[in-house]
Amino acid sequence: MVNIDRMQVEAELRKFVGAAAFIHSEATSYVFVRNFKVEVTDAFIAGDGEGPYRAALRFDGHGWLRMEGLTHYELDPAGRLLLAGFDDRGRMDVALHLGKEPFPE
Amino acid sequence: MNDMNQSKARKLLAVFAHPDDETFICGGTLAKYAAEGVEITLVSATRGEMGRRMGNPPYLNRETIAAAREKELQAACDSLGIGRLMFLDIRDKTVEFIDEESLTARIENLIQDIAPDVVLTFHEKLGGHPDHCSIGKATTAAYHRARCKGALYFISFGDRMEHPEPYGYAPEDILKIDVSDHLESKLAAFRAHRCQSEIDEWVWLPDSEALDRFGKVEYFINGDASAPILNSGDLFQPAGSRPVMAGVNH
Repeated sequence: MVNIDRMQVEAELRKFVGAAAFIHSEATSYVFVRNFKVEVTDAFIAGDGEGPYRAALRFDGHGWLRMEGLTHYELDPAGRLLLAGFDDRGRMDVALHLGKEPFPE
Repeated sequence: MNDMNQSKARKLLAVFAHPDDETFICGGTLAKYAAEGVEITLVSATRGEMGRRMGNPPYLNRETIAAAREKELQAACDSLGIGRLMFLDIRDKTVEFIDEESLTARIENLIQDIAPDVVLTFHEKLGGHPDHCSIGKATTAAYHRARCKGALYFISFGDRMEHPEPYGYAPEDILKIDVSDHLESKLAAFRAHRCQSEIDEWVWLPDSEALDRFGKVEYFINGDASAPILNSGDLFQPAGSRPVMAGVNH
């Protein structure tokens, strides 16, 4: 994963708008949700300078998913957009993944 | 060499929850018995794929971590001398939500197949993590159901069992295994679990300094009340010390 480039990530997020997506989302120490399927209505990333960044999805016409603390991203070989937030010692705090296909269970 | 089973190799089955449990908690003991020729099977319920640590700096993500941790665990097994590694393919952090009956049955089948002399697992209450407690509970039930002829011990963190009374145990329930001759293997296994150990600077100090951080003893709790400990320095108890029907549910 590399440090988030806000413009790049915004462009990648937009590719998921207007279609069904599978989501993996976690606040690592507290909760994870894997493979909920939503119709992405809008996708946002916000934050300036060196981050960390905030991301949000609107889905199914009435849903929100919002997350903060994002620092890194990767467009993986399977075409999935992986966003994550790491602390200064490499520990994951949050993650938000979007894919067109279900993530491995 | 113990005098039991001289004609065939002694066998140890360890059933834990995550890659690194075997190394961080009782790696010295596993290395010691492997060096003595004990055939060790390690079962890891999960691949630790929901862990927080991903290297420092991070070199993994949530989707790549499972394969990486499997590889690192295999390398750790090679360092410790563990000959056989199996996974139960349960997602990390979900062991307590898996059907307990089928989990117990799977482990019971393994015990029947392997016929181990020693079974190691977590204590179902003192495990310290829900996955640990759940795999410990299932393995303990499987041990009794299988009427395992061997012994059952619970692994224990650090030196807390030097004083077992606050945990509801007496000193005679505790085994202390001297691992001082096997700390190099333990350190190599720590380093094999790179994504988990990289954050701990001491692991990567020069060997002599890193080795100083390890205790010389690893502690185990007797998990089978029907079989008192006769030799508190050895997981493999003297021949003839076991009741004929050891392992019957109680």
